[in-house]
Amino acid sequence: MDFERARKEDVNARIHVALEKAKAKQADLNAVVSFVDVESQIEGLKDIDENQPFYGMPIVLKDNVNMKGVRTTASSRILNNYVSIYDAHITTKLKEAGAVVIAKASMDELGMGGTNENAYTGPVCNPWDTSRISGGSSGGSAVLVSSGVVPFAIGTDTGDSIRKPAAFNGIIGMKPTYGRISRYGVIPYASSLDHVGYFTTSIKDAAVALEVLAGRDDRDMTSSYKEVENYAEQLNSDLHDKKIAILDNVQNAITNEEIKDNFNSLMAKLEARGATIEHVSLDDKLMHALLPVYYIIANAEATANHSNLDGIRFGEREDGESVEDVMINSRTKGLSSNVRKRFVIGSYSLFAANQEKIFRKAQKVRRLIVEELKRVLDQYDVVIADASATIAPKFKEKVQAGNDDIVTENYMVLGNFSGYPSITVPTGFVEGMPIGINMTAKPFEEQTLFNIGLAIEEETGLKGNDVEVDA
Amino acid sequence: MEEYSVEYFKKLAHDIMFDISDQEALELQDDFKELVSEINVLDEINTEGVEEMVYPFEMETHFLREDVVENVISQTDALSNAKSVKAGHVHVPKVVK
Repeated sequence: MDFERARKEDVNARIHVALEKAKAKQADLNAVVSFVDVESQIEGLKDIDENQPFYGMPIVLKDNVNMKGVRTTASSRILNNYVSIYDAHITTKLKEAGAVVIAKASMDELGMGGTNENAYTGPVCNPWDTSRISGGSSGGSAVLVSSGVVPFAIGTDTGDSIRKPAAFNGIIGMKPTYGRISRYGVIPYASSLDHVGYFTTSIKDAAVALEVLAGRDDRDMTSSYKEVENYAEQLNSDLHDKKIAILDNVQNAITNEEIKDNFNSLMAKLEARGATIEHVSLDDKLMHALLPVYYIIANAEATANHSNLDGIRFGEREDGESVEDVMINSRTKGLSSNVRKRFVIGSYSLFAANQEKIFRKAQKVRRLIVEELKRVLDQYDVVIADASATIAPKFKEKVQAGNDDIVTENYMVLGNFSGYPSITVPTGFVEGMPIGINMTAKPFEEQTLFNIGLAIEEETGLKGNDVEVDA
Repeated sequence: MEEYSVEYFKKLAHDIMFDISDQEALELQDDFKELVSEINVLDEINTEGVEEMVYPFEMETHFLREDVVENVISQTDALSNAKSVKAGHVHVPKVVK
C-alpha cells in the first residue's frame, strides 16, 4: 500500500484500520513490540496543515527510535520497561509532517542480527510465507509495510538491516547517505556504521519521505549541512545518461538460476531504456574482507556504546549487594547470550594489546574497501546487484556459507563502510517469494537512486506491492 | 590463565560487567576461532601507510557551541526510568559499609 492508496480512506478510518490490522496480524507476524495510542495523535492533527506530506498517515517506528511517553526497548530485555522521555529528531520531523505512529516494531536485539530471530519478544515472520524469516534487524518494520498495515516504516541499517529485509519482503528499503538523516534519539549499535532509513512500497513515497527526514540537526555531530533536495519533484525515470555497473563479484557467485534470470532480464530492460550497462569487479581479497571488517568494527563500537545499559538510571534492574553486583546482574540477565558474546569479542578487539592488530587494522582495510568502491563510482552512476542470493530462508535454515556466499550475503555493508546512499527495490518473485536488487550511488546522490528506482518500478509494476498474510 | 580458556572468557565478560555460563564460554571458543581466521584474512591485506577510517566522511560537522543551556531534561523525567529514587537522586546499594 502506497500513500496514494492509503489516502483513499479518510484520516480517521485509515489510522484505525491500520491499527486494527496490525493487531489482527500480530499472532501470525509477531512484528509489534508496543502499540501506540493514536487518539491523542489524531487530536494533535488539528494543528497540522492538511497539505503536509504525511498528514494522517499511519506509520511505524523501529523500536530503537525514541518517542516521548512510549516504551522503547530495542527488543532487549534490559530496556523492557524503558519509557522514552524525549522524541528522536526523526520522530519530531514525522509528527510535524502529520504522521501518526501506530506501533513500535520488533528488531534484532539492539540491532545486532540479520534475521530478527534474536528479539526479546521472539522472531518475526515473513507475511509471504510465515515459515520464513523477515530478515533483520529491521524485520518488524519491514513486515508491517509488506503486509499492507502501513505505507511507511522507519528502520535503521548498520550492515544491511533495512536493505536485506526489504528484499525478503518485496518492498523498497532506503538507506540514505551517512549524515543525511539525524540519528539523535535513536539507540545506537555501531556509530560509524549506523544509518537511519525507511521502508515504502513506492519510489515516490521514498522520495517524499527523504525530504521530510533529511537535514542538519546540531544534536547529531555527524549530521550533514548539505541542502535537502526536492527529490519527489525531480523524479525522472529517463535512463539515457545513466551508467550502471553490475557488480560481478556478487552476480557471478549467485547460483539460483531464477534469481539470475530475473536480474538479467531487468538489466536488458534498463538497457533498452537507454542506460549504459557494464560489468565491474572489486578486488576479490577486499571483498572477502567485508565480513571480518564489519564484525570487528561493529562489535567493538557496540561494546562501548552499550556500556550505559546497567539498570542503574534506567532499564530493568536486578538486585545485588553492591552497585557492581546490580550492574553485573542486570546486564547478565538483561542482555541475551548472543549480545553478551558479541560484546566479549568487541572488548577483546579494543584491548590496548590487540587494538593495532585487530581494531585499527580493520579500520585501515575499511578505507581500502571504500577507495575500491569509489574507484568504480567515479566512472558510473550506480553499482547494482541482487540484494540477496536467495529468497528469505526458512527459520533455522542455515544459509550456505561457501567462500563466495560470504560475499553475496554481506556485500551491502559497502554502503555502511562508505556511507554512500543505497536502496533495495523489489524486482519479482521466485518460488512465490519476493526478491529485489540493491543499488549504491555516490554520496548525497539519492536522487540518482530514486530515478533509476523509478525506472525499475515502471518495468516491474510492483509499485504498492504488499500481501495478505499467508499463515 | 590460558588464553581462550573458559576461565579466560569468564574474566573478559566480568571485566565488562556481566557473567557468562560455561556453555557460553565454550561457544566463545568457537567464535574466537572464527575471529582468528578473520584476522588472518585482514593480515593478508597490505595496509602500510593507510590511515584508519574512523567515520565515512572526514568533513567537519561538529563545532564548539556557545555555552548556553539547551535541550534540558527535567529532574522528574531524568528519574522517571530509575527503579529506585530517593530525595531526588537515583538510589543504589551503599558503596561504603
